[in-house]
Amino acid sequence: MTHLDIIRLRKLDPKVVALGSHRGIIQSMLDFDYLAGRKSPSVTAIVASGRRSERYFFGPKEVMIPAYNTLPELPESARKAANLFVNLSSGRRVLRSSREAMDQLPGLVGGVIFAEGFPEKHAIELYREADARGIWIIGGASVGIVVPGVVKLGAIGGTQALQLEQSRLFNPGSIAVVSSSGGMVNEVIRTVATTGHSLSFSLALGGERFPVLTPEDAFLAAQADDQTKAIAYFGELGGDDEYVLVDLLKDGRITKPVVCYIAGTVADLFDTPPQFGHAKAMAKTDDESARAKAAALNAAGAKAAPTYQDFVDSIAALTFKTKLPDPEPQAAKLSARKPALISSTVSGDRGDEVYLVGTELLDLASNNSFAHIVISMFLGHRTKSRELDEFVDFVLRLLVDHGPYVSGAVNTIVSARAGKDLVSSLASGLLTIGPRFGGAINQAAATWLEGVERGISPAQLVEERARVRSYILGIGHRKYRSDLPDPRVAKLLEFKSSLKDARFTNFAQGVETETTRKKGNLILNVDGAIAALMLDLLSEKEGYDTARLRALVDAEFFNGVFVLSRSVGFMAHYFDQSRLDEGMFRLTPGQVAHIDNEHTGF
Amino acid sequence: MARKKLSEFRAKSILTAALGVEYAGVSVDTDDKGWQKHLPSKGRFVVKVDQGVKGRFKKGLVKLDVAAADLAKAVTELGSRGYRYLLIEPFAAHAEEAEFYLSIERTRAGNFVSYSRLGGIHVESKAGAIKRVRLESSSDSAAAKELGLPPESLQILADTFDDNYFAFLEINPLVITDGTPQLLDAAVEVDDEAAPFVNERWTPDDFRDPSQLTPEEEAILELASQSQASFRLKVLNPDGAFFLLLSGGGASIVVADEVNNQGHGKLLANYGEYSGNPNVEETYLYTKQVLSLMLKSKAPRKVLIIGGGVANFTDISKTFKGVVQALDEVKKPMRQQNIKVFVRRGGPNEAEGLAQMEKYLLREDLHGRVAGPELTLSKIVPLAAETVTTGAAS
Repeated sequence: MTHLDIIRLRKLDPKVVALGSHRGIIQSMLDFDYLAGRKSPSVTAIVASGRRSERYFFGPKEVMIPAYNTLPELPESARKAANLFVNLSSGRRVLRSSREAMDQLPGLVGGVIFAEGFPEKHAIELYREADARGIWIIGGASVGIVVPGVVKLGAIGGTQALQLEQSRLFNPGSIAVVSSSGGMVNEVIRTVATTGHSLSFSLALGGERFPVLTPEDAFLAAQADDQTKAIAYFGELGGDDEYVLVDLLKDGRITKPVVCYIAGTVADLFDTPPQFGHAKAMAKTDDESARAKAAALNAAGAKAAPTYQDFVDSIAALTFKTKLPDPEPQAAKLSARKPALISSTVSGDRGDEVYLVGTELLDLASNNSFAHIVISMFLGHRTKSRELDEFVDFVLRLLVDHGPYVSGAVNTIVSARAGKDLVSSLASGLLTIGPRFGGAINQAAATWLEGVERGISPAQLVEERARVRSYILGIGHRKYRSDLPDPRVAKLLEFKSSLKDARFTNFAQGVETETTRKKGNLILNVDGAIAALMLDLLSEKEGYDTARLRALVDAEFFNGVFVLSRSVGFMAHYFDQSRLDEGMFRLTPGQVAHIDNEHTGF
Repeated sequence: MARKKLSEFRAKSILTAALGVEYAGVSVDTDDKGWQKHLPSKGRFVVKVDQGVKGRFKKGLVKLDVAAADLAKAVTELGSRGYRYLLIEPFAAHAEEAEFYLSIERTRAGNFVSYSRLGGIHVESKAGAIKRVRLESSSDSAAAKELGLPPESLQILADTFDDNYFAFLEINPLVITDGTPQLLDAAVEVDDEAAPFVNERWTPDDFRDPSQLTPEEEAILELASQSQASFRLKVLNPDGAFFLLLSGGGASIVVADEVNNQGHGKLLANYGEYSGNPNVEETYLYTKQVLSLMLKSKAPRKVLIIGGGVANFTDISKTFKGVVQALDEVKKPMRQQNIKVFVRRGGPNEAEGLAQMEKYLLREDLHGRVAGPELTLSKIVPLAAETVTTGAAS
């Protein structure tokens, strides 16, 4: 009984999670998908550290495949839809990552392990665990499995589109090719193709001592598959898995014709034969020698060829040739593509016209508010809700300036008086925006998001922060107090009326209730209110889940509106200083406190 | 990548520590100049080669009952037979009938224990007495009972075997004194890929190989240890005629098989392979070592076979650039020795790679044959063999 069911695999809509990344292999899987006529890539997620997405070609065009640092970070829908994995991580991570895939992907059918150097003990453990769960796992050190026209999981069949066509992977046939060796599986696939046959399916067991999917599993899968008429097998010296095949043949559990070659007769020349290329390729006993295994297979009714040429000839002599002509070759079209230097979802030309977030520029500008265009472009898509647009419009107006006293304005003024130009003076003001000035909105958003995500109470958050003596950004004001409320915050909170749950705003106000009990001026300030309301509007009106909100926080999105709005103020101060033209700004010694080091302890 | 022999010193250190038995073995590395300082000064000892050699006793690589004063002499003598690592242990006299046999091996179906009360150096002639059962608690007791070994001791051995990622353990002879196991000779094979998982209880420095490596083989081991790709080189006959520059674990055996099938097994100079898409520099370095061996061979007629299957992801054009770079450094001596090159390869960018190779070989008068997947993989061998047997390039 094997869990590898080729008939079922043919009916599957493959959704593959790549555990680790390997450009050539993933690209070749997408090329296979495209040439097989799929409308979208079979690889739906990549688990690899570093990026949010990786760019690949799907046919002549480029697509982004979403990437995640860890498997649990996959959106629930993607985790549930996944049914296959290709494990491209290193040998030492294979056991853990494969186990995690079995735990996290409820619809998992099977997977392939590419890494070489996967400890024997781990292979045996995985063999038992996969078996208990009814999942097949091919490898380690396997180039994968391919079912023509359906799925290619791994490097098998080649990594260039031209190779895939030369191996007739889009014209299903009747020969199952099974090989311990990854290089030889491809060689034999090519032989099948050039002798007028084509594949029903093919897989590489991998050259490790204990392949998780055994030759027995592969043979039983071929026997059970209605499309497979004959099996071509490439084996090597070492190990005794072939004797199980002998038993299958003798017992009549394999009745389809088997042609095979067991490599390694050369080992007989040596007293102590060398370790050949694969881990298992070392015969410890006479039974494990290539000669003995070939003889046993022959005696059981397989055709074990004495030389490789005889093996090729016996494949050619099979009478299950493919009748349908191959589909029109398309690989050449894919050979000249070049990856773009940058990607953009915000804007670009279509024909002679400029498009912003999917809409022609003049159309967008004529029919929408500035705030709508701003927030749509910041998010990378047109917003759906009027409420968010109106909120952003108000915030843009509200944050435009806060007097010449704040650091950014002072810097702009000093630069302007030093005779610098508009852009330099504006930039010197903008460059002060950060953790202490103006950057509080994003920090506050991070805090509210964390609180809601963790499901803790506002009191708990306050307690945690108090314990490490850390400020809560978004809370506290120099002048306003609970008995002297900030009128701007009151105005902002009017937007709460359109919200249903207002999870983030309620949380922020809960925090305020706690902090104002300690000190009257620890009120929810403008930054904290903007952050909370923006989170709620994105969540309720635009359907953002916490993962997408987290991505916005990581990108410092919540400071964007401040930067844009306050640029108006900085430019106003620049123009103002130009008009006043007071000459260079300089401090006098009396305006600097001269501190004696001895008294400060520095 | 494979099973490796652990030094007996390391194997016993691990096993005795687990069993709670004292271990007084001393490991000697004769390459270490101060080795004499580490010798014990009192008692009688066994001195043996600790380098993964099978059948040491029959080969005279074990010296029994050596007095402390004679240790240096014994070490020097065994060392002079080409062995670097030796092991000194206290000598314990025992009756031959007390020598038992115990081994554990890892298989897909579980770990199996083999045992016999008829152990010692002649165990193979008494193999019929060896029983083999899967290590489960019920069968453990049968094995333990027969040998008179406390069941807990067998359990410790089994756990130690598993925790340390052993693949094979053989204790022969095993002598049990008052219920305490004495491991007189122990051989352990570990799975070298497990090194990251054993918390340095053993490391690759503990691997022992009886064979002595040629400088070329050492260079390739070094290259392999520093690369993501895989490299292997084994010299079979330094004066052979067939030099192989092969790619892929499976295809390389097919080509080597064919040299043997054609009746030239004795003239096979090397086995080796590179795979896993090495870069140009790595392929160059690998090729250089094969070429160095080839030019040293005293065979009157020599050929270089560059062979491989249709690669999945190894870039043919890129790897062949490295090969050509190395060939170019020795093209003159190759021409002087009339060595021709025979190529059969396929895979990504094969058209470009094969064309560049053919052009180069023709220009430099090294051309035997350049073929792609249209030629059967093994067919390149008879074409090359013709040059060796008749001296004519086809």
